[in-house]
Amino acid sequence: MRYVLLVAWREYSENAKTKGFWIGMLLFPTILFIAIQVPVFLEKRGTPTRHFVVVDQSGQFEKTVDAAVERHHQRRVLQELDDYARKHAETTAPKAGQAGDTLARFADTDAALDEFIRRGGKEFYLRELQPRLKPGAPSFNEPRRSFERVPLPPDIRTNADLATIAQELRPYLRGEKKIFAEGREIGLFAAVLIPADVEQRIVRPGASRAAASRTWRGIEFWSINLTDESLRGEIQRAIDDEVRRREYVARGLDLALIQQVAATRVPFESLNPRKEEGKERVSGADVLRQWAPTAFVYLLWVAIFSIVQMLLNNVIEEKSNRIIEVLLSSVTPGELMMGKLVGIAAIGLTMVGSWVLALIGILAWKSSGHSEVATQLYTVVRTSNLVPAFVIYFSLGYVMYAALILALGSVCNTLKEAQSYMGVITMIMMVPMLTMMFIPKDPNGTVATVLSWIPIYTPFIMMNRAAADPPLFDLIGTMVLLLVCAVSALWMAGKIFRIGVLRTGQPPKLVEMLRWVKGS
Amino acid sequence: MNSTTPVLELRNVTKFYGDFKAVDDVSFTLPRGAIYGFLGPNGAGKTTSIRMILEIIKPSSGTITVLGESSALVVRDRIGYLPEEKGLYKKMKAWSIIAYFASLKGMSRPTARRRAFELLERYGLKDFALKPTDALSKGMAQKVQVLAAIAHDPELVILDEPFSGLDPVNQQVMEEIIRDMASRGRTVLFSTHVMQHAERLCDHILLMAKGRKIFDGTIADAKRTIPRRVQIETDDDIAPVRELPEVAAVTRIESTAVRNGCPRWELQIHEQAEPQAVLRACFERGVRLRSFNQSDPTLHDVFVHLVGSEAREASHR
Repeated sequence: MRYVLLVAWREYSENAKTKGFWIGMLLFPTILFIAIQVPVFLEKRGTPTRHFVVVDQSGQFEKTVDAAVERHHQRRVLQELDDYARKHAETTAPKAGQAGDTLARFADTDAALDEFIRRGGKEFYLRELQPRLKPGAPSFNEPRRSFERVPLPPDIRTNADLATIAQELRPYLRGEKKIFAEGREIGLFAAVLIPADVEQRIVRPGASRAAASRTWRGIEFWSINLTDESLRGEIQRAIDDEVRRREYVARGLDLALIQQVAATRVPFESLNPRKEEGKERVSGADVLRQWAPTAFVYLLWVAIFSIVQMLLNNVIEEKSNRIIEVLLSSVTPGELMMGKLVGIAAIGLTMVGSWVLALIGILAWKSSGHSEVATQLYTVVRTSNLVPAFVIYFSLGYVMYAALILALGSVCNTLKEAQSYMGVITMIMMVPMLTMMFIPKDPNGTVATVLSWIPIYTPFIMMNRAAADPPLFDLIGTMVLLLVCAVSALWMAGKIFRIGVLRTGQPPKLVEMLRWVKGS
Repeated sequence: MNSTTPVLELRNVTKFYGDFKAVDDVSFTLPRGAIYGFLGPNGAGKTTSIRMILEIIKPSSGTITVLGESSALVVRDRIGYLPEEKGLYKKMKAWSIIAYFASLKGMSRPTARRRAFELLERYGLKDFALKPTDALSKGMAQKVQVLAAIAHDPELVILDEPFSGLDPVNQQVMEEIIRDMASRGRTVLFSTHVMQHAERLCDHILLMAKGRKIFDGTIADAKRTIPRRVQIETDDDIAPVRELPEVAAVTRIESTAVRNGCPRWELQIHEQAEPQAVLRACFERGVRLRSFNQSDPTLHDVFVHLVGSEAREASHR
């Protein structure tokens, strides 16, 4: 045992010094942090303000566009204010009718936004919030405008033909020319060109076919950016709304009534019969809970794969450097193998442990008001069995694959030789990666169940199913099978390792290795 | 175990690899405190024998007793081993490797660490103690490995080709290490191709070829196995010399650098005969000698003589 521990200690301390280990340790928390932080960051600063021009020769929609852009901005201001209030205001029971709370609760509805704008917007909100603000709270920063309309460049005449205007705007849109506005040069993101006869181009279902076919081209949205459709969507929605509003009026319909009807809805809920009675409502966290195992499968795969690779490199190093002989004059092959297994397992557990801690740490930190996803993920991680399952499947899966790798490493002389065999193992190991996204949709289906009972896939597939309460028979049965297989794989690996490590020359044939397992 | 028990005893040890007999019925004993040279051409079975002694592999038949035990594993802490093919963990520091191997031999970590620095300093590697081994030259790395093998001060040290790859200065250091060990009553068994080392260091040699033991004894004994030679130069007729009872054979040395055109002859002398008697006889019979040169055979001669032509290639490597 002493020798096993000595070998294990060396494996641990030497591998803990490698760059690969530290990259592995830090990569996951970094990715997690970025994954949570980047959307927040992007929303705040990521996309620049989009400057655009409007040429409305019909004179009908210019105001609509301006109003839509303003409304869009006010919506963001309100959201930011709500965030600000969550972070910096006391969360004492809200007094009924207080603007902050009412608005916060309905932040996503148009009614709330209307209310917000009607009452005076930011100033009103902040005035209401003031008494509850924690001491030392920073002042509120209004978010940058996402969209901003700028005047046409002076050399373009608004009364020219639309095609001409478009032609003249091209260099601005392509970034070859800048517009001078707000005291500086600005790149033009888009141009909205509304023809004078836009009224005739409105598509009215039921109207004559001839009219419809003529109107393939209505309002033109010019931009070289094809991916960011937010501005286009905002303007299009606003103009469509305005067109419909006019239609209602033109046809003598009661606008207020229409709006009332349009806002009519019936609550629609998802319920899960597995959950406690009275609490069956499916929350965002529940949906996340179904998908969270997938992330853990991925982590499991990366963890097992990266550390068995480490194990392989290690065995090969000793073999190709012939250190193995000195070692074997001091320890038995069995002790050496177990030492490696334990040492690298400790490396793996350190890595996985740091991941779990980082996961919980980052989620705990982020969930304190900053990010809703983080809050829900945190709930999932805390209240589910995912983390213990992860550690158990990691350990068992590791032993199983490590046995395979130790046997492989012991019969190969160079890393290159081992890589070709490793390729095959990688291919086999790819299966859980491919089924990873599919399993949560049918976690107790035939495919999932069958794959669960294949020991080399058990850790991954069962991890994948972990949130779906697989049958107890599957849960225990596969684990026992996995345990038995891992131990026998280790036993066989021991036999092969003992003979393999001292061999030089061509790797042995499979038949020969089987003979080693059976014989001597 | 008392001091008269042999440190190592092989009895009728044979090892097959498949059908190939790598070691063929080898027996020998190693007395305590000796420096034992293990000689033989490539493929003689030296490394296989050493591996069997260390129980890295098991003999097909025969028994091996190491430090009084039938298994080297029981006494592995008291044995030091330097294998023929040398290698180190590339990223490990020199001191740390020595300490690691010493701790595998039962030393406590702090003692092993202290000992590692001590050895590195004593053998001139102090400045490299904190360097990873891939920053060391081949010779230095080999010294580190030797130090790793002896750090735990083993009773029996087995060194497989310790001199290969070392420059003359480091070969000197290596000899010094071996002598140091022996002077403290440790037993050293080392294999080599370089006969000079064996000749300078060994009390005993064991000569193997093709898996079989060919010679086992002191160097003096070894030299006695081949006839002694005398070289003479004379312009006179060599016939009277041929007839001397001491002389077994006479051969003319065809040398490219024949001095003064004077022929040189090599006389093989019978084992019991004295070279002085040949000189006297020449004088008595009126053979005028320009030179008389008596030299002891070298171990190299012994090697070539005993192992025969099959090993010539190997011994001249």
